[in-house]
Order: sequence, then C-alpha cells, then structure tokens
Amino acid sequence: MNKISTTCPWCGCGCGLYLHVENNSITGVSPSRNHPVNHGTLCVKGWNCHEFVQHPDRLTTPLIKEGAALRRATWEEALAKTAAKLSEIKNTYGPDAIGILGSAKCTNEDNFVLMKFARAVIGTNNIDHCARLCHSSTVGGLAAAFGSGAMTNSIDEIRDARVIFVIGSNTTEQHPMIGMHMLEARDRGAMIIVADPRRTQIAQFSHLHMRHRSGTDVALLNAIMNVIITEGLVDVSFIRQRTENFDDFEKGVLAYSPEVAERITSVPAEDLRKAARLYASEKRSMLFYSMGITQHITGVDNVRSCANLVMLTAHIGQPMTGLNPLRGQNNVQGACDVGALPDVFSGYQKVADPASRKKFEMAWSRPLSAVPGLTLTEMVDAIHEGKIRALYIMGENPVISDPDSAHVRAAFAKLDFLAVQDIFPTDTAEYAHVILPATTFAEKDGTYTNTERRVQKIRKAVQPVGDSRPDYDIICSIARLMGYPMDYRAAHEIMEEIAILTPSYGGILHHRLDAGFGLQWPCFGMDHPGTPYLHRKKFTRGMGAFIPVEFIPPAEPTDDEYPFLLTTGRSYFHYHTGTMCRRTITLEREEPECTVEINPADAKRLEVRRGDPVRVKTRRGSIEVKARVTTVVPEGIIFIPFHFREAAVNLLTINAVDPNAKIPEFKVCAASLEAVRKKPGTRPAPRLSYHEGMKQGLDLYIPPEERPSEE
Amino acid sequence: MNTAYILNKNHLSFWLRTLKSTHELIAPTRDVSGDIVLTELQRMHETALDGPALMPSPKEFLLPQMEQLFCYSEEGIEEALNKRPRVLFGIRPCDLSAIRILDTFYLGKTKDAYYEARRSRTVLIAIACNRPDPTCFCLGLGTGPFLKSGFDLQLTDLGDRFLVETGSETGASLVTAYPHIFTEPKPADGDDLYETRLASQSQFEKRVNLEQVRKHIQAGAVSDAFWESVAVRCFECGGCVYNCPVCTCFNVIDRAASSEAGKRVRLWDTCMFKGFTRTAGGVIPAEAKINRTKRWFHHKLIHWPEQFGAFGCVGCGRCAISCPGTIDMATVALRIKGESKAEEK
Amino acid sequence: MTTTNIYLPFKTSIANVKEVAKDVKLFSISVPADFTYQAGQFVMVSVIGAGEVPISITSTPGVSKDLELCVRTVGHVSSAINALAANDSIWLRGPYGRPFPINGQDALFICGGIGIVPLRPLINQMLHNRAATGSRKKVTVMYGSRNPAEVLFMDEAARWQEQGAHIVMTVDTCDIESWKGCTGLVTDHFAKANIDYRNSTAYICGPHVMIKATMRDLSMMGMPDDHIITTLEAHMKCGVGKCGHCYCGGKLICEEGPVFSLEEIKKYNIKPGVDDLV
Repeated sequence: MNKISTTCPWCGCGCGLYLHVENNSITGVSPSRNHPVNHGTLCVKGWNCHEFVQHPDRLTTPLIKEGAALRRATWEEALAKTAAKLSEIKNTYGPDAIGILGSAKCTNEDNFVLMKFARAVIGTNNIDHCARLCHSSTVGGLAAAFGSGAMTNSIDEIRDARVIFVIGSNTTEQHPMIGMHMLEARDRGAMIIVADPRRTQIAQFSHLHMRHRSGTDVALLNAIMNVIITEGLVDVSFIRQRTENFDDFEKGVLAYSPEVAERITSVPAEDLRKAARLYASEKRSMLFYSMGITQHITGVDNVRSCANLVMLTAHIGQPMTGLNPLRGQNNVQGACDVGALPDVFSGYQKVADPASRKKFEMAWSRPLSAVPGLTLTEMVDAIHEGKIRALYIMGENPVISDPDSAHVRAAFAKLDFLAVQDIFPTDTAEYAHVILPATTFAEKDGTYTNTERRVQKIRKAVQPVGDSRPDYDIICSIARLMGYPMDYRAAHEIMEEIAILTPSYGGILHHRLDAGFGLQWPCFGMDHPGTPYLHRKKFTRGMGAFIPVEFIPPAEPTDDEYPFLLTTGRSYFHYHTGTMCRRTITLEREEPECTVEINPADAKRLEVRRGDPVRVKTRRGSIEVKARVTTVVPEGIIFIPFHFREAAVNLLTINAVDPNAKIPEFKVCAASLEAVRKKPGTRPAPRLSYHEGMKQGLDLYIPPEERPSEE
Repeated sequence: MNTAYILNKNHLSFWLRTLKSTHELIAPTRDVSGDIVLTELQRMHETALDGPALMPSPKEFLLPQMEQLFCYSEEGIEEALNKRPRVLFGIRPCDLSAIRILDTFYLGKTKDAYYEARRSRTVLIAIACNRPDPTCFCLGLGTGPFLKSGFDLQLTDLGDRFLVETGSETGASLVTAYPHIFTEPKPADGDDLYETRLASQSQFEKRVNLEQVRKHIQAGAVSDAFWESVAVRCFECGGCVYNCPVCTCFNVIDRAASSEAGKRVRLWDTCMFKGFTRTAGGVIPAEAKINRTKRWFHHKLIHWPEQFGAFGCVGCGRCAISCPGTIDMATVALRIKGESKAEEK
Repeated sequence: MTTTNIYLPFKTSIANVKEVAKDVKLFSISVPADFTYQAGQFVMVSVIGAGEVPISITSTPGVSKDLELCVRTVGHVSSAINALAANDSIWLRGPYGRPFPINGQDALFICGGIGIVPLRPLINQMLHNRAATGSRKKVTVMYGSRNPAEVLFMDEAARWQEQGAHIVMTVDTCDIESWKGCTGLVTDHFAKANIDYRNSTAYICGPHVMIKATMRDLSMMGMPDDHIITTLEAHMKCGVGKCGHCYCGGKLICEEGPVFSLEEIKKYNIKPGVDDLV
C-alpha cells in the first residue's frame, strides 16, 4: 500500500490529505497531521473523497451525439470533430461567437491552458467560470478598494484572533476546517459575532447573532460603521496614512443610524451597537464573509461595505485581522488567478491594458483581443440572441448551478456546437455534441490554490479510468488540431509558463511546492517565502479606497402572492451540483433528498408537518420538495440547497445580476409555499368518539378510561 | 516467556531489508512534507520511529477503509481475500492493544474471514513509546506505553540500540535467524530499559480514569444537558471513528461495473452519521446529534466492557487530534469527572 | 486454517412470485434441504449489483418446502427484489437472529401492516401444533392495516379462523363497502379479543409507533413484561453482529434480536426509532 500526499478536491479550505492506494485502486484517505489548514482533521467530505474517483459512472470514452443519441468514439474522432466545429464557427461568425467556460474544480494548469486556448487559439476573451456565481463581486469590489481581490489573511491565524465577525457564511458547514479554527479561537477566549438570517452552527457558537433580513447587508454594515464613527472608535491615523476618500464615505454612512437600520434589517439597534463596539474595540479582529455577501444584485456594494469597515478600524495589513472572503470551491481562487475571467489574463493583468497584452502576445506569438469578453451570465443571454454559437465547457454544470435553469437549458439547446469535458455525465452534458472524458484530482498532477491563496500540489495516485485524459492534455490536443502548437509534457511545464507571465506566481514552481505545504501568493521570486497576509505597510493599489455605498433593496420583493423570501445555499454533506457527492454513498445517505427549511410558525400556519411534500413556487418555476421544519430559518424566510437535480432550486432563482460583477442574486427571491396534499382517501379518516360510534351502532372505539380494568 | 535481545541501530536497515524480502513491510515513513505516515517502506533509512501517533491507526491494514468482499460475474461470485504476508513495523503499544481488542471482536464466536486472512498473515512489531504525545492517555489503561505480551516483537529505543523482546514464535524466528546482529543484553541494558520506561511514564500530560467515568454514567450522574453541550460541537465529520483503532463499524455496498459484473465492497462507516441507522422505511433511530454522540461514548465506556471485558478505547488520543470540535474521549471524560466533582462540592 | 466466509451468499432461484398487495410480493424460493430455520429469524437477501437487505422469513419451519419471503418496496434493494420474476436467481445468507420464544400459554398476535410477515410462520406453526396435539390453547390474531387493499394473507386468515384462531381485523380507513372487519387502531379492539392478559403471551410486530403503543397498553392491562414479545426492524448490513448498524442500547439487534421481550427492552433501554416518536 502506498500513500500519496495530495490536496482535498472539495471546498476552498484546501486540506492536506493522503490517498491510500493498493493495486491501482484507492482504498482510503487520511488527513495530514502537519498541514496548516487541517492539522490532522478532515470533514465528512474529505474523509470520503476517494469514493467517486473509480465510480462505475465515470465517463471513460469520448462520446459523440448522433441524432438524439450519444455513441462512443475514439479520441481522434472526437478531437477532430471538436476542432473542426470550433474552427468552422470561428471562421463563419468570428472568434467572439465562441464562449469558453473554465472550472473552479480543475487545476491552475488546466485553467491556464484553457485561458490560453480561448485567447490565443480561438481569439476571444469570452472565457469565464463559476466564480462569476460566487465571488465575482469580491474580485471586483476588493480590487477597487484594496487592489487585490482575495482573502487577506491566513487560516492559521484565526486561532489567535480576539474577535471573529462572520457575515453571510455558514462556516462550520461550508468551510469546516476554518470553522474548526474559529471554534478553537472561541475556546481561547475570542468573541464571535455572526450576521446571518439562518441560525447556523457557527451562529450557535456566537456571542452575538444578528438575524438580518437577506439582502440588507449594506444597511447593517453602514449602521455598524455609523456607530464606530459616532462613538469615536475609528483609527484616525490609519485612515489618514493609508486610505483615501474618507470624507465622502463618512457623509453617506452618517445617514444610517442603528435605528434606521433596525427598520430595514430587523436587527435590534442595540445589537448593532454591540457588534460595532466588539469589533472595533479589539486590535485582532478578523472579518469573514462568503456567499451571503456576494450573491446579491448589490454584491459588489456589500463587499465594498466590508472593505470600508476593516479600513475604518485598521483591521487590515496585520496578522489576525483582515477581510477574508471564503472561496467556495477547491480552486476557485486559482481559476481566477490564472485568468479564466473575461477581462484579465493570469494575475489579474487587464486585457485592456496594452502593456499586459503585449507581454502575452509576445509569449504566445498571436495578436490578442483587447475587448473584455462576456461573463457567464451574459453568455447565456448572448446565446439566446444568436451572438454565441458554440460553447466549450470544462468541468462545469451550468444547467444546475446557474440561476433560472429553464432559461439556461433553452439556451444550450440552441447552440450550434457544445463540447463538454467532464468526469461524469452531467445535466449539462445532455446538451453536448461532443463529450470528452477528463480525469479526476487523483489521476493527474497539478496545483490548486485554496482560499488563503495557498498554491498546493495534487499528485497522481492512480491510473486514469478508461481512456480519460487530464484536462490540459485534451485542450492541448484540440489546440494542435486547430493549428496552434501547445506541447506541455507535464503539468509543471505549464506552471513554469504561469510563473514567467504572472508576477504574483513568479516564484511558484512545482519543485518548491513539493517541499512542504505549498506557497501563498504573492510569491515574486524563487527565494520569496510567500505572503501569509496582504497589504502589509501599504495596500496593493497604494491607498485603500473608501467607497460610499447606499442601501438598495433586493430585486424581487415579497408580496401577497409570493410571501416568502427564498434563499439558497449548500448543505454540509453535499457539494455544488452533486455530480461527485451524490455518487458517494456516505454523503448521499446523509442527505438523500432535497428539503426546504421552514420556520415552525410558518409551517403551523400552512399546516405543513415535518417531511410533508410541499410545492415551492416563484415567478420562474416551481419544485416539489419535503419540508424540514426548523428554527434554523426565521419566520418568512425559506431555504433550499441547490445540489439536487431532481429538485433544482435554480429553476426558481432570479436572473437579476449585480450591474458590475454580473453575479446573480441567488440569495433572495420571492416565493410561495404550499403543502402538496396527497389524493383524498389515503389520509386517515377522522376517528369517531366512543359515544358517536355507539350512536351509529358501531363498536369501534374504546377510550382508555372505559377499557376493561385490571381485575 | 519473552526473550530479550539487543539490536544496534546501525543494523536496523539490514534487518528491515530482510523482512521486506519476505513480507510487505509497512512502517512509519517520513513524507516530503514532514508528515510521518504508515505506508510501505521503500528506502529503509526513511523510517521514522520517533513521530507522534500515526493517522489513521494501523487498523487500516487489517480492516481497510474500503475493501472488496467479492466480485461477481455471470459465472458466480469469487471471494477476494488478501493473503499477502505483511509486517507492521513500528506501531505503538496502544495500537497493538487495540488490535487485540479487534481480534476478540472479529475472531470471536463468528469469524470474519477477511479480517482473519489479513490478521493471520500480519506480523506485529511494536515500538515502545518513549515520547508520548500530549494527547496520549494509555498510561493507566494498561494499553501502553510498554506491553508485556500481545506483540510478535517489541522494540524499545535505548539511544544507540534497541532492546528487542520476543512475544511469539513468529517474532522469535525473525530474530533468531540473525544471531550476528541480535545479541544478548547486558545488565546495563536492563538498567537503561528501566530508566527509559520511567522517563516515558513521567511525560504523560493526561491521566484519565475511564472506570470512574463509566461509573458516573451508569449511576445516571451525566445529564442530557451535558451531552447536548458536547453534541453541539460535533461537526459530523466521522473523524473520531475513522481514526479510532478500536471502532469496527462498516457499510456494505454493491458496485456494478456493468449489468453482469461488479463487486461488493465494505467501507468504514460511523455511528456519528444520522444515515447510519436509517431504515429503508425512513425511520432514523438516532437522528439528533446528542443521541449519536452519547451512543459512541456509551458504546465504548459501558457496552464494550460488558461484552469484551475491556474499554473500547486504548488511550491513543487520535480522536483529540482528528475532532474539529475537540469532543474527544479524554476531554469528555475529564469534563464528566470535573462536573461530578463540582456537584459533590 | 480455513474459516467459512460469513459474508458469502449462496445462489438459489425463485420458484414462484405472487403480488399480495400493491408493492408487496410473496416469493417462494427453493432452498437446500439442510437449510433449517425457526419462526422469527431472518435471511440476508442479495440482488447482486443492487445490494443486500435483511428480510424476515415468513414460511413455516418444518412445514413449507420452499422458503417464503414477503417483500414490500421501500428502498432501492427491495425494489430490485420486487422486480425479480420466477426462475430468476437470488442470493441468500442465513438464517440469522434469535427466534420467537414459545411457551405453553395462550398466544395473542398483534400485527400492523407488513408486520404480519414475521409472525405468520409462528401463527401457522402454533395452529399446526394445536391440531396435531389437540391442545385447547387460544390463538388470537389481531391484524391492523391502513386500508382493505393493503391487508395481506386474507385467505390465510380465513383458514386460520377455520383452524380455531380468533381473528380481529381492522383498517385505519375503509373506502370499500364490502369490508367486514373493524376500523381504527389494533389497540382499540382488545376488548373484542377477550384476552386473559395475565396468562397469555403477546407477539407484536408492526411500525415502531404501533409496537410502542401496544406494548404500553398490554403492560398496563397486566400482561407480564417478559410475555410481551416483539421483533424489531433495524438498518443492517451484515446480519452477523459485525457491521454495527443495528446496535441499540448495547445490543445488536441482528444477533441478540430481532426478537425481544418488553422486559429486555426496558432493561437494556433499546429504543429503535426513539427520535421519531417524540
């Protein structure tokens, strides 16, 4: 038996683990004891990450659609067809008629090669990936405020923090090992503040839980900052030395007294004051946020508000402080870093910037487009408008993950050509003309960048299943067929190219990553040790920018017809669209079906009991799920996780997007809920009382007090 | 009767290489990252005997996390027994004690053929604990840090040499074949051994009296409110059970490769999951976290002693390392003791 | 040294299948002559590729030639079993579990829905012995179902009546006029059965809620706890005390059950489905 050191493929924590291999099959998993993130622990998903790798459902050969059916094909045939169709569409409609989707599940090397393929081979900037749906508001919002859109500090610092403020993150369930560090900090005396409408596990550990109404984060944060300013808790010298535009910002915030915010957020003004005092009074205060902040039409505004808050109290640029967006997927940070985004090359070098473009043009010997491409959400609309004719999707499942699924499905059905490269047959692959089987994390080498910017290796543990091939290898083959030489013999050669072209990855090479537990970017050179926390001495952009933010209500308010606020998210046992976790017996068994969380008061009013089937409806569609009656959600709010294809909540969500980041508002839409009554006759008939029974001449029922006594 | 020998540390690699020629040699090995993992030893000098408790426990070599029971095809079924001879070298006495508990469980009145196939071909060479971890509490449970029996061989690190004790004929045969490297101990070696044992015992940071805790629980002195305060910290990761050298539960699933052929596998399962007890009809006997947490501790502290005469815990401290919520055996036991003391006052 | 591998099932074939109610099928399965069992035991049934589940034996020991199993579709393995037809092969292990204890007392059978399945062999066995020995022991069968369409073994119940058993049938809801039985819960009809609680033994099987209520009522009416016998359902993966799934109150239901008396249930604090009931 051998144990291969690698990185967990599920969430953004990026835990270190070992795959146990015997006779080319994976027999188990164990945690790394010294890894700075997990210290010998793993969550339930980590412990079970081996199971899907050699699952019988894996795609093992390329498939080509013929008529309505798919047939097996050789690699030569499938690659030739893909290359020919892409060339044809490029020549007929121009390169911008092709859209490319990268993947936050794939390695940095895979995404970099795909990005190069889009820009140098196809000639379009239409490349995006599902970071659009989770943290595009972070990337945009923090770039404007600080100059760098990533978690500023490190996971290992959390245990020494004094105050931990978590807003819009279900940390213990979605980033369990970060939750573990928070719990440890709490045991060491730290205060925990949580702002979340749901009473999550981390909220149960909190000293102060603010249950604000979804979509009112700006009002909440402005009120907290209002208190900090009016009570003189600001760090004046930091604001003077390191930031700009404070005066404009201050004027805006002064309008949001806690009393005003209480009316908007329904959080008691006194709690807002308490939160402000707690957060501002300690020097080692860390702010964490996740999808609860970003997935709104005001996603960028929410992020800016968070940025304003940390600058106001100088909780940035020092250890145990900072603004820490928790990235959801294992490599969503890396996929953004290496440029699987429509407006930037790797390292967030703008395509519109002539100097950057020149550098990449020289490296790749092709002229490159200066026009930022379409985002994921825009691509779907562009397909409907006939502007995009072909899509190449690597390891994503937009049919389940994107808002308003029906709209997405209709778009994909219209495509002239869709190629899907994945490990399992997904719902998206149903629309594909060509399906290309890729390898999992256990069958290839590469790197993932976790949420704290730690670039870590994954290592090949077993031979690829069937004829599956590493993602970058597939793309290189298509590029060659389209007349562009791409010959990487191994993943580390791609990393060398990333290092050359990307200053923040300048010193990150595979052999350095082998020596320990990865390197945190920015890492500018071979002797640079990596950067545990950002914005030391000065912000990446120079001065930190205060940006005034006004509260804007969510796109779809509740009304009499749709009285519930529907919010979506994830479950601890599942991951994203379920392609991997639902094929893992232990995970699937824990949560085999979709449920809607509903408050007991609402449930009572609607005569819904635990486990009853209910119909949840919005203006986009409706699904039937079982009710989970729980006080986790407050009255008026219902919650559905998005992993379940048979009850896809994204049939319900709204396609309203943030004007800057184009991130959809997954967290708020108006919904109705009603019990689904089974057909009459199967419900127990009301029982007759004894006396009524007697009257009807029936001997049916003997109440306990009239039963034969014990002698 | 145990016989003792001395093995010069310079000769360890030579001996290991001879073991490797006839067995799959599993030993603690230092990974490039600095972790020490129990894996097949390739280069003899890479073995690391001075590390902390290995994750997961050596149980995985007798009951792998995922194990094939049989494969099936149109012709019928074919059992898949692992008959490879193996040496587990450098495991801790607590793990050895755990294996002896597993033996009573798996080789008791109904024998588990898969466990037996591996176990009967596995040679156990323990290394006595000179440096217990801060999480260790085998001292007082009689499961470590040094054993008198149960091993094939037990090594004690005496600085530049090992004292090697034989505990079985198999063990003895691995030593007596090499009289040129296994020499007779001198009186000074005995003194050093005694000194080493004393020094090791003095390093234990935790003393846990599980017997006392068992009595408290059985006397009904541990309230549900207490268990609730424990359960709320549970992350439902299953790490405590996966890492536990004594936990035995497994799940069985069929993996169809095609409509005719496939395999039946078993994989580690844990009672910390609510799906663990869910019946096909959807009834979940232990749905609330508190019931699952309680169940685990009760099983180890009350029912194991009733059935097997030993606690379902050997004090290896792995649950303390692997629990994100720090609700491990020692912490909970010490809390129970603390609370009952507080009540007495 | 060789050990019989307890996890290896043997292959046999289905002699006959009969649909006895919606989603419920009765299988007759050919078994070797040396395959002996007692009432109350179960077998592990595999549909290879789908998985393995514990199923109660419902044929009468020593009387039926074939092994009979009655399966209701609830999960994916039971669906796979119920998709099988006559002559299909099926894989078995067993029999496992502790059988029903039999004493010389009057017997009261209380069955809810599919719960009649494990009790059926004991009813048949007792009536068989009764006829053979000329005993005058009372055998009472109280059987509750959700509705008349879900009543299993209706013809057999008629035969039991001919053989001298006292039958009380009840349904929760009745949507047909021809129903001659009662309506309501089984526990509502004890008066009809005219039971000598102190000197009878009750055998109970049904949903957890029903078992709990029945045991409580019988105990209240003076039946000694060790004469209140039930058989419990639990999630099982091995059937031989290894996998740990059915562990409850320090007992493994597969090995030390599935048959327990109320006395044992109280003593060991066995609470299957406890969360579900509160």
